[in-house]
Amino acid sequence: MRLFSGQRAFVLQRLTALVLLAYVAGALLRLALGAPPELAAWRAWAARPAGAALIALLAAALLLHAWVGLRDVVLDYVHPLALRLAVLGAAAAALAFLGLWTALILVSHAL
Amino acid sequence: MRFKVYRFDPESGAKPAFQDYDVRLAPGEHKVLDALVRIKEQDDSLSFRRSCREGVCGSDAMNINGRNRLACITDVTEVPEPVVLAPLPGFPVIRDLVVDMTMFFKHYHEIRPYLVNDEPPPERERLQSPAERERLNGLYECILCACCTGFCPSYWWNPDKFVGPAGLLQAERFITDSRDRDTAGRLAFLDDVYKLYRCRTIMNCTEVCPKGLSPARAIEHIKVQLLKRST
Repeated sequence: MRLFSGQRAFVLQRLTALVLLAYVAGALLRLALGAPPELAAWRAWAARPAGAALIALLAAALLLHAWVGLRDVVLDYVHPLALRLAVLGAAAAALAFLGLWTALILVSHAL
Repeated sequence: MRFKVYRFDPESGAKPAFQDYDVRLAPGEHKVLDALVRIKEQDDSLSFRRSCREGVCGSDAMNINGRNRLACITDVTEVPEPVVLAPLPGFPVIRDLVVDMTMFFKHYHEIRPYLVNDEPPPERERLQSPAERERLNGLYECILCACCTGFCPSYWWNPDKFVGPAGLLQAERFITDSRDRDTAGRLAFLDDVYKLYRCRTIMNCTEVCPKGLSPARAIEHIKVQLLKRST
């Protein structure tokens, strides 16, 4: 498996973009239909398995999409190998941290 | 007419600079190339490429008022004064308006711009149906002037790795050709984060192609072909 794939990243970026678009459309539809839910109602929804799964899917799509985008920017602009690895490593660590943080929040609400 | 022309002489050690010229065109002279020839009469130290002077050879591709064009088919009435002439962006400058196209042709040769077909040749030519031949329209007309590649930011960022719009248009020309037998090999070669997937569909290539071709569409077609092969 190549570290910097061509088609795999291309497809992943587009699939995650479709997921994000669906969420944006869903959120806009929800806002159009009525006032946004209160915090307590939102927390209750997020604590349910279906709500938590939808938030987890959103987070995964967002983080993967961001990774491909960041990787592309680095491949274009950051050419020295050591600097490139450092920036990619920092980006991967930051995204992994955000993913882990999201997972911890979802799990803590579910318990 | 007033012109500002990019000047660079590597032997002088001086930094590149724009030089002003005033040109009076003779009756019957309408093109930027005509003006360049007049400038050359004033100042024979100016270097630029030209050959067919009718938009077929692609030698005189350059940046004219911020847009890549062929000097020989650009009418002087199309470009407001002062007309700024610069070498193709993204290419190393050899001298004045002459750029080094080594990398451009390296990518062109990499995509194997010829039919690959090991089947025994028929007695006469390898035939195509009219529909198969029709699919080559919009691909084979490329004159390799590099207007598209020199206007592609993705190529500016990775000129040594990204094949560029001209090379990819040529790749698509042979991928599409019904007589070619190595479509899989051609697609496998291009399935690379640099060679093909640096293209961001900026579409400058299609915008500036002096032959009216669409490298962006060809690149999208290659991506679709790759997707179909992998599913």
